[in-house]
Amino acid sequence: MKPIRQAQGKHFYSHIIELESLFVHIEDLEISDGEKNHLRLLADSTIHHTIIDAILSELNTEDKKNFLHILSCEDHNDIWRFLNTKVDSIEEKIKKVAQDLKKELHEDIKTAKK
Amino acid sequence: MSSHSHYHRLKNKWIDRHRNVKNIIWEKHQDALNWAINSFPAKQLVAGSLGGMLLLSATSITMLPKSPLLLTKEQHAQDLDTDTKLMLDLKGKIPSDVRPLSLDEEESIAEILTKDFGFRVTSSVHGKKLNRSYGLIGYEQHLVLFPGDTIYSHFENDGEFQKFSSAGMAPGLSAWRYFAFSKHALTQKDILREKYYIAVQTFLAPGFDEHVAEFRNFFKYRKMLVINPENGKAIVCDIADAGPSPWTGKHLGGSPEVMSYLHRVDGAGVGPVLYFFIDDPEDVVSLGPATIR
Repeated sequence: MKPIRQAQGKHFYSHIIELESLFVHIEDLEISDGEKNHLRLLADSTIHHTIIDAILSELNTEDKKNFLHILSCEDHNDIWRFLNTKVDSIEEKIKKVAQDLKKELHEDIKTAKK
Repeated sequence: MSSHSHYHRLKNKWIDRHRNVKNIIWEKHQDALNWAINSFPAKQLVAGSLGGMLLLSATSITMLPKSPLLLTKEQHAQDLDTDTKLMLDLKGKIPSDVRPLSLDEEESIAEILTKDFGFRVTSSVHGKKLNRSYGLIGYEQHLVLFPGDTIYSHFENDGEFQKFSSAGMAPGLSAWRYFAFSKHALTQKDILREKYYIAVQTFLAPGFDEHVAEFRNFFKYRKMLVINPENGKAIVCDIADAGPSPWTGKHLGGSPEVMSYLHRVDGAGVGPVLYFFIDDPEDVVSLGPATIR
């Protein structure tokens, strides 16, 4: 079986957090490709930081280090195995923070278009 | 409102969001993040999604080379977006292997850099150019500023001494000898020229052997824009020494301050930079870290 890392996107959570709906709205903006790229990168990085913060906030000091170590190895299967043993309903928690932030980013785009 | 204004409004809002979340994560989990920076090799960090977070927003200086510049968290946050923009602009323009750029590649990159920085960036000035404009940068030592300059007289303050003295002084003089004839004659310009110097392979420049004196004068303190394409860090440097030898496998060298700012290291972690001339006949471009407009 293909490891999750290879089968899915670049982040370990890419298979549960879709950013396409956000990127489609960025694509619709009448701005240059470079500017669209910049916005996509900002959105992606902000969501990434938010998710990592949510995860670290659920872990004790030692497990924070363990998580960062596993994260640095980029094996998505190991990351999920670790998280599932350490945090209850971690997948739902990640989805929730990402969803809330995406909603705010959507609103920002709407406001900017006005 | 124009689409350009829409973009700037949205971009500024998202930059604020990005900055906020980075500050939050560093405030809440500083110990663990610093531990990660100290524990994992830089290469491992650069490659992974953890690195994207740590390298671009670290408050810690501990992952930097021997003598890091003490950048604050706010400075890192501020730098991110201009650095990222530069990385994006250069994306697809730089070869995956570290080789001399073709003339077309040089022109294309020089055009981008000129537009981004607002001063003329070029691979050749008055028909003179270096042997390459993309290569591996090594770590140089401090250069003697004036007769009698030592590691104890070299720095302007204790902070700089603490940060950069471990690099030591180069055993000989630079290719153009002293920056000033005495400590008394030393100017701020001399100090900056040493602080932000690079050593390039002037002796391999096309035409050097036929016009040694002319080329030596041309290269002396000539300003160059040096960029780490992997993090978008850019710095205005001057050529103040010749080297390194071709057998080292490296193509240029940077002062400890330059290497620290670029987040470049020597040895197994040696990495590439772009280095292009700055055409600055009026001498208005300042030496030191540069950000895009």
